[in-house]
Amino acid sequence: MMGRRMSLAFFPALLLALVSCARKPIEQAAFDPSTYTELTFNDSDSMDPAWSYDTASDEVILNVYEPLFIFKGASTKELIPLIAAKVPTRANGLISADGRTYTIPIRRNVTFQDGTPMTMQDVRYSVLRFMLQDRDAGPSPLLLEPLTGYGGTRDAKGKIVPGIFKRAEQSVQIDGWNLVLRLPRPFSPLPTILASWAPIVSKKWATEHGDWDGSEATWKKYNNPEKQTSYFFEHAFGTGPFVLVRWDRNTHEIVLRRNDHYWRAPAKLKYVIIKGIDEFETRKLMIQAGQADSIYATRDVWEQVQNIPHVDIVDNLSTLEINPIVFFTFKLNGTANPYIGSGKLDGNGIPLDFFNDVNVRKAFAYAFDYKGYINDVVNNKGIQPTGVVPKGLLGYNPSQKKYHHDPQKAAYYFKKAFGGRVWKKGFKFTAVYNAGNIMRQSLLQVLKHNVEALNPRFNIEIRPIDWPEFLDAYIASKLPIFILAWQADYPDAYDFAFPMLDSQGAYPGPQHFADPRIDKLIDEAVAQTNPAAREKLYWRIQELEYQDVPDLPVLQPLDYRTQRDWVKGWVNNPIFPDAPYGCYYYPVYKQLPVSTQKPAAKAPKHA
Amino acid sequence: MLKFIAKRLLFLPLVMLGVTMLLFGALQFLSPAMRASLYIHDPRQLSALNEVIQKYGLNKPMPVQYWIWLKQVLHGNLGYSETAKMPVSDAIRAFFPATFELTLVSFIPILLLGIYFGTLSAVKKDKLLDQTTRVVAITGYSLPSFVLGLFLLMVFYGHFQIFPPGRYSLDVDLLVHSSGFHHYTGLLTLDAFLNGDFAAAGDIFSHMILPAATLIYISVALLLRITRSSMLEELGKDYVRTARAKGLPESVVVKKHARKNALIPVVTLSSLLFIGLLSGVVITETIFDFPGIGRWSVIAAQQLDVPGVMGSTLLSAFLFVTANMISDILYAFVDPRIRLS
Repeated sequence: MMGRRMSLAFFPALLLALVSCARKPIEQAAFDPSTYTELTFNDSDSMDPAWSYDTASDEVILNVYEPLFIFKGASTKELIPLIAAKVPTRANGLISADGRTYTIPIRRNVTFQDGTPMTMQDVRYSVLRFMLQDRDAGPSPLLLEPLTGYGGTRDAKGKIVPGIFKRAEQSVQIDGWNLVLRLPRPFSPLPTILASWAPIVSKKWATEHGDWDGSEATWKKYNNPEKQTSYFFEHAFGTGPFVLVRWDRNTHEIVLRRNDHYWRAPAKLKYVIIKGIDEFETRKLMIQAGQADSIYATRDVWEQVQNIPHVDIVDNLSTLEINPIVFFTFKLNGTANPYIGSGKLDGNGIPLDFFNDVNVRKAFAYAFDYKGYINDVVNNKGIQPTGVVPKGLLGYNPSQKKYHHDPQKAAYYFKKAFGGRVWKKGFKFTAVYNAGNIMRQSLLQVLKHNVEALNPRFNIEIRPIDWPEFLDAYIASKLPIFILAWQADYPDAYDFAFPMLDSQGAYPGPQHFADPRIDKLIDEAVAQTNPAAREKLYWRIQELEYQDVPDLPVLQPLDYRTQRDWVKGWVNNPIFPDAPYGCYYYPVYKQLPVSTQKPAAKAPKHA
Repeated sequence: MLKFIAKRLLFLPLVMLGVTMLLFGALQFLSPAMRASLYIHDPRQLSALNEVIQKYGLNKPMPVQYWIWLKQVLHGNLGYSETAKMPVSDAIRAFFPATFELTLVSFIPILLLGIYFGTLSAVKKDKLLDQTTRVVAITGYSLPSFVLGLFLLMVFYGHFQIFPPGRYSLDVDLLVHSSGFHHYTGLLTLDAFLNGDFAAAGDIFSHMILPAATLIYISVALLLRITRSSMLEELGKDYVRTARAKGLPESVVVKKHARKNALIPVVTLSSLLFIGLLSGVVITETIFDFPGIGRWSVIAAQQLDVPGVMGSTLLSAFLFVTANMISDILYAFVDPRIRLS
């Protein structure tokens, strides 16, 4: 009897003990002005500035390392010097008349995080290392192309391009406290690339930790390396306002501490914690409890973050992104292709050259309801682009004609396509979207509904697929249409026009789209140093895009940010990595709004 | 006994080899481009797809790829997990202790509650207590873990602001990563105790309460049902009637006679539950942001991280064989008529 009573009492007692173990209520310990906690979804890939090509890593790198220039406040056009002492322009004579030589004066008072002074050797080494590491699918081509004229350090077979080291070395020279860049031809976006990429690393620190020593004799060993072999992978040593304390890949947590040797005034925050939490509900509960200062929350959960006490929603934030954009495949691969039905124009499939007929593409362009999609699916949070160049960049043309929903015109072009056989026979194919992406699923549903409403013989099946399956079908040109997005690497029209419209770009390859006129214009535009002339060239490129209809740019979205009301100093710059969720933390600080101020602010106990 | 254990242990490498061959074979049904998706995350990287396939040898014949992997393993290198961003052996070392700790915290109450209430339910068959435990068991068994997990999180963390998600809070985060904190066992609660920081131990423990409660509620139901039915079967047998006729107290009849014999299916189920928990509980770990092995192995599988999948599968195979061996040994203790041969 006694035993039973004891065992019955055991569980409530255990529960009580567990409850008493819990720390004091969170709200009491929530406001800590020295520590900022950002909850994100993404996990970083590498802390190496020459490897990283993902926004989560780039956000950390932006706060720990520093590029030559930085964008001023929210501007994506105006640069201010950071490591450099001046921004080169034609007006100040630091860009030569032929646009091929950039002379960039460098500051003399910059120090690394341990207080050692930065040297010109460090600056040169940083640019060379960024280019010559050149890992597959990495960011190196962003600088290799303008500085050497080559898109990579290896050929298609993976062999080192002869003479590439010399080309790189000759293009990056130092002259006293000037960095002199010699380009094979003018490349207008170069300053904006240097404002986003190739931040300054310490040559001495790199060499001491087994990385490249900067010599020609050893560079090949460090070309296209395994990510984890470099000390840079999980360590950082920069000149920026924060120091990487820890990247805990176990708990998906990155801890930054204020750089006490920072060469400018120190940052206001002492600690920044960037933590990956997969589950949105958990992120939401944490910001609600005051344990997070900002969270990753996308448009589809917008309603769920409304009206949370002390949480601000900063809405209608501009982006440099076209998302989604629909691409047509001009020449499909018919081998074991499950997406094209019979593979013939017989009402049960589509022929391999179905989208090669401009009438088909125009019919689809007129069939889609852009306004309805933007109104209903994204609650008017975005605009229909006029071409691949987004609003906010030189080259955006607000007057450019764009497609609109016109069922009559859609029917007209379908009737013209394939000499009238499309209209007569009908067609059937499968359109895919990445599983879980509601915006893209909705896009296809709108397209399907509108196209099928034109003719009962038209049939589009919609199917979600995972990323691996998408890649497989995409690279083999098996997808009749595919939906992707493009986010700026740097704020210039070239970064949108080349990958999406040039025959050598990322998407036109599998699309089998090539328009020599567009290729030529893109080539001319990137080398054009006169802004007005450049703008005209991009306008012409988008006119041709309108005529060719290789793609349908559907939306340039407006984003929003979810943050506690005590967060101050944050500025949205859409070119910053992972904006608006990610952050350049230097100007950010925390202050309780006057109405909710509490006297006791708590610093971390073990800090 | 020793012979039995030695035989099982010798069997272990063969099982593991077989598992990896099967898994590797299955993965080869995926094209090189599909497997390259592990390295291509962003549309900006699409143009380098072929180079990535070439670099990682994804287009090599399957036996060649398997041989390369096996050679690595024989040299003590399980490969590099792209999803964990660390070598597979490090990933196992990093994630497994968290899962093991959560398993211990959950499994002991599961066992105690399951056997206790299962027995009680059988003894009080069709009484109020039996009906109540059955309802509780059925709801627990049928409730999806994400629903229960989110509910608990919203109530306790969202409303009462206790039991936060994650592994520990910021104070403890800084502490466990400081040079003064010694990781004796990898089990953080225990390590905090051994470091003499009871507040930290309490904090770490409090972070396990909600995930453990979710696991307990969902898993205890099955054990309770099995114990109950097994007990009912035993209580109806002749030897129980004889024991009662001899005038033995009911508690002795139930605990010493019937329950001991009813434990064999319970031991089997318990070992399976234990392996299930040790292999990781994906949804619970995801909802509570608990960095365990389950979440990692599922992410590895989703992203076709072959070394990660192979590593976590090897661990599961090892756990499965070991736990089966232990349960076989336990059978002999529970019922001496069973001999290990």
